Amino acid sequence: MHIAEGFLPPVHAAAWTVAAAPFVIHGGRSVVRQVRDHPETKLLLGASGAFTFVLSAIKLPSVTGSSSHPTGTGLGAVLFRPPVMAFLGTVVLLFQALLLAHGGITTLGANAFSMAIVGPWVGYAAYRVVGRLGGGISLSVFFAMALADLSTYCVTSMQLALAFPDPSSGIVGAASKFLSIFAVTQIPLAIAEGLLGVLVFRVLRDVAAPELIRLGVLPDPTPDPPHRAPSGTPTETTEA
Amino acid sequence: MRGLAIDDAAWSSRWRDHAVRDKACLSLGLLLAAALLPPWPTSAIVAVVALGLLVGRAGTSLALVARAVRGPLAFVAIGSVSVAVVVSTSGGPFLSVTTDSAARAAGVAGHAVAGCSAMLLLAMTTPMVDLLAGLRRLRLPAACVEVAGLVYRMLFVLLESVGTIRESQAARLGYSSPSRSLRSAGMLTAATLTRSWSRARRLEQGLAGRELTGSLQTLDEPVPGSTAFLAATASALVAIVAVAALSAGVLP
Repeated sequence: MHIAEGFLPPVHAAAWTVAAAPFVIHGGRSVVRQVRDHPETKLLLGASGAFTFVLSAIKLPSVTGSSSHPTGTGLGAVLFRPPVMAFLGTVVLLFQALLLAHGGITTLGANAFSMAIVGPWVGYAAYRVVGRLGGGISLSVFFAMALADLSTYCVTSMQLALAFPDPSSGIVGAASKFLSIFAVTQIPLAIAEGLLGVLVFRVLRDVAAPELIRLGVLPDPTPDPPHRAPSGTPTETTEA
Repeated sequence: MRGLAIDDAAWSSRWRDHAVRDKACLSLGLLLAAALLPPWPTSAIVAVVALGLLVGRAGTSLALVARAVRGPLAFVAIGSVSVAVVVSTSGGPFLSVTTDSAARAAGVAGHAVAGCSAMLLLAMTTPMVDLLAGLRRLRLPAACVEVAGLVYRMLFVLLESVGTIRESQAARLGYSSPSRSLRSAGMLTAATLTRSWSRARRLEQGLAGRELTGSLQTLDEPVPGSTAFLAATASALVAIVAVAALSAGVLP
């Protein structure tokens, strides 16, 4: 659910860009620091970004009979942490705008705020909270991915409602309009994405457990854990 | 996804060898005109100019342009309908469409269509590597531009992997029911992720074997800008602003 180029009024587009900028700059600075301290992580960051982009080529079945693709914000947040996702997500959104015509340049700030900032943070928070409540990794991942998707959709609807308040019922009425019109596709998609996350993590636990341990996603079984790899970058991988 | 049609169009565009600065000035100028000026008649003029240049001068196929705008147009259509509908809560909730709300929705749609056209003019004439080189020249942090460049270079290999794995899953009836589709999509996602890590690690080992630990910057020979192109851009933008001002009654 990318806001198309030119859809937001200029003041709103500029305001959301300003709101997203500190998070993206913080993510960019952490990438610069990471690349300076560990130059070898550059390729892994590139691969992680490419993976996030390629998620849009993976089709999910939808209850409406059509298919849609996962946003991947929850998966990225669990694997790579929200600050890295703020930068990588913004790069991916720019690529989606220029290579797929999904989203736009003036709406990049608004889309980044919902998909690269709020989605990952909500997903990561859900992952940690459900984990602490003893939900297990499957339930944690399900809520991380489903809520990341749902929060992205809610924020996008609010962005549209703030830009185009209803003449009669104001922002609340406009929010209900945008939330309900996009709910037809977004709620089933969020559930499907949550289930997809559970399946992905089951496979990853079987074929890439060392990488998940190094990323801090799975607990380290050894008593003296090795130093955690820089955020979002496993140091060794296994072919699927 | 059948490759990246917009990227293919950019590489084969007649405007491929124009300076990035010139094309960016034209596209961003049209984007600003579409966003800041009143929708009528500016949006129509901007869309016609952008798409006319894209098809007529840059040689992009009209069918390809039509395919590229399908996605954004779907969002614009749904969003505009939402803007047009008025929710009234007095005497129970009911929906209506007024003349004002319809005009407002048409204006929003006009801005968006013009903006999408202007953005496509840049996207379908300028390959991503040229844009990233331009961002590097604008002194964005080299590490960030380099990571973005790696994302661009790696995504084609991953897209090919996704296509191949999906084809083999489909041949084994992996998408014959919703539950099988979901399971196959999960396997596909996990395989793509582990392949991306594996490929990155092998690339890193290959580069380390060559003692390459510094920048991965490739050769960048910027094309000199064209004064005539910039002058034509400025003239077109001034003309669009003048028409908008005349229509609004600002000019006599």
